[in-house]
Amino acid sequence: MQLQLQQLLPVYFDESQRNNSEVWRKDLTFNKGEYVKIVAPSGSGKSSLMHFLYGLRNEYNGNIVYNNNDVRKYTAEDWAGYRKDHVSIVFQDLRLFPEQTVYENIELKRQLNPFHPAEKIKEMTERLGIGSKLNNKSRICSYGEQQRVAIIRALMQPFDFLLLDEPFSHLDDKNSQNAMQLMLEEARLRNAAIIFADLERIDFFPYTRLFHL
Amino acid sequence: MSVSFKPIRTLLQTGTNTGSRWFSYIGLGIGVLLLLCSIQMYINIQQLLGGETQRKEGYDFISISKTITNETMGQLEKNLFNENDIKDISNKPFVQGVSPLTANRFRVQLSAGDIIPFSTDMFLESLDDKFIDTVPPNFNWKEGQDYVPIVFSSDFLEIYNVFAPGYGLPQLSESTASQVMVYITCFGPNGEKQTFRASIVALSDRVNSIIVPKNFLDWANKKFGNTTDVKASRLYIKTQDANNPEFLSYLQQKNYKVNKDKTKFGRVKQVLQGIFSGLGIFGLLVVILALMLFSFYLQLMIARSKDNLQLLLMLGYSPNWLSKNVSKQFIPVYIMVVLFALVLTEGMQWAFHHFAMFDRPELSSMLHWAVLSTAVFLIGLSLLTNYRMVKKLLYKLV
Repeated sequence: MQLQLQQLLPVYFDESQRNNSEVWRKDLTFNKGEYVKIVAPSGSGKSSLMHFLYGLRNEYNGNIVYNNNDVRKYTAEDWAGYRKDHVSIVFQDLRLFPEQTVYENIELKRQLNPFHPAEKIKEMTERLGIGSKLNNKSRICSYGEQQRVAIIRALMQPFDFLLLDEPFSHLDDKNSQNAMQLMLEEARLRNAAIIFADLERIDFFPYTRLFHL
Repeated sequence: MSVSFKPIRTLLQTGTNTGSRWFSYIGLGIGVLLLLCSIQMYINIQQLLGGETQRKEGYDFISISKTITNETMGQLEKNLFNENDIKDISNKPFVQGVSPLTANRFRVQLSAGDIIPFSTDMFLESLDDKFIDTVPPNFNWKEGQDYVPIVFSSDFLEIYNVFAPGYGLPQLSESTASQVMVYITCFGPNGEKQTFRASIVALSDRVNSIIVPKNFLDWANKKFGNTTDVKASRLYIKTQDANNPEFLSYLQQKNYKVNKDKTKFGRVKQVLQGIFSGLGIFGLLVVILALMLFSFYLQLMIARSKDNLQLLLMLGYSPNWLSKNVSKQFIPVYIMVVLFALVLTEGMQWAFHHFAMFDRPELSSMLHWAVLSTAVFLIGLSLLTNYRMVKKLLYKLV
């Protein structure tokens, strides 16, 4: 399982922006098991990169190749299968169903392609300190709690790559470390790669490769 | 994929107004009902008036005779149709068939035997079987047979029933009329006579006459009559349209008289069929309208749950699976609506047959198979349009 970026650059970026970047307009290959840290100041295209990799947007030049397949050629059905089986994501803006409970939000992802049994939901929420919120609608949870829901939701499926887009923006250090620990364990279970994009370096992410966007 | 749709259903019902949904269900129901009723009524008319009766394969049947004027009075030659007249008229493009109504050339007396003390001089006519609207299988005669079947004009029966009480005679219903055995006595020019038993085997709405099998009359005319001429006093004409102006002007020019009364029945049927075709088309339009209304409702529903659906697609739900399952939600509703319309149509048909048609054997209280297959087709059509609509809308969200 390989993820390749070939001369990637958002169409709305001018060429000058690529000069200082270690990602844009470069040829990069990510393999399973790698922990990739991408440090990206605001406006450097961090969310764009994550959305390109997850197939939400395609306003880019260059290619994204997954397993020797150019994702530009993916149909809607192909994307569904890709997101269900191979790539998982924690969005910066979380994207939960506001009217559903915490449990329902996680279960909606889990039932699609269960990597874990349903009991795991309770176990993980308790571990991250939101066990008592399972039956609360997600919209009444605090942002920090919602962030943890989004993290657990991303861990319910099998994946080769876990994309993290500022996953700890509203968590204190202790909670962040706790969540990071869980994600590392889960990635190890699947021998998956983590691509972690954030504004600055986070000490408790044991990256194997570091890029500045 | 054994993914459950149950948790997703709640994501779709984000306060969509049920009013417009019910409105489209009711609209669909009314449209389907109209359509099914029209088809059933169309078939009823076909079965009541159609096929072998008034307008055989869409033709009018009329009888014509020569107008008897002061100049032609008493000159039999001029008042009867000869071979040339028949040939001439059958060659016209607006005439699809001609058959002479041959009358008896001898004296005929009809008596009703001992039960009804009634006897009268009368006439007999014969006509090609295919020009008679009701030909029962026993309408035939063989030489030597002393029983003659009769096709009797239903108008004559009505006339009989009008004057019967004044003569102390019993009035007859259509069914008893056919059970009464009558006697036909034929008189020859030299005083010989022969009596036949006869009974009414059918009543005709089209032919205003007393019709006996053609070979009987041919035989009797030869035996008792004074002429073997085939000259006919009336002609029966099969035409596509009895109101065709060319046809009418031809008749006028030839000074022929038309008995058009009987064509009216054909017209009535045409008009009725027209009305029900119109109603059927209207029903179809209502169905289309209801389906459109329903598609608006779907669009509204999908627009309102757009965020949720988009998020589901983002999480990896297959758009195909989602469209299938979203449209599946409406299968029971569609089936219920069409079944409901079907039950009402069946009720209508039963009431029509029982109360309006008094259980006439030509009709059935059950629905015609064409109506049932239309219902099945409509369910299929609704589901297909629904599925395509949902799919189109969902793929737009991807």
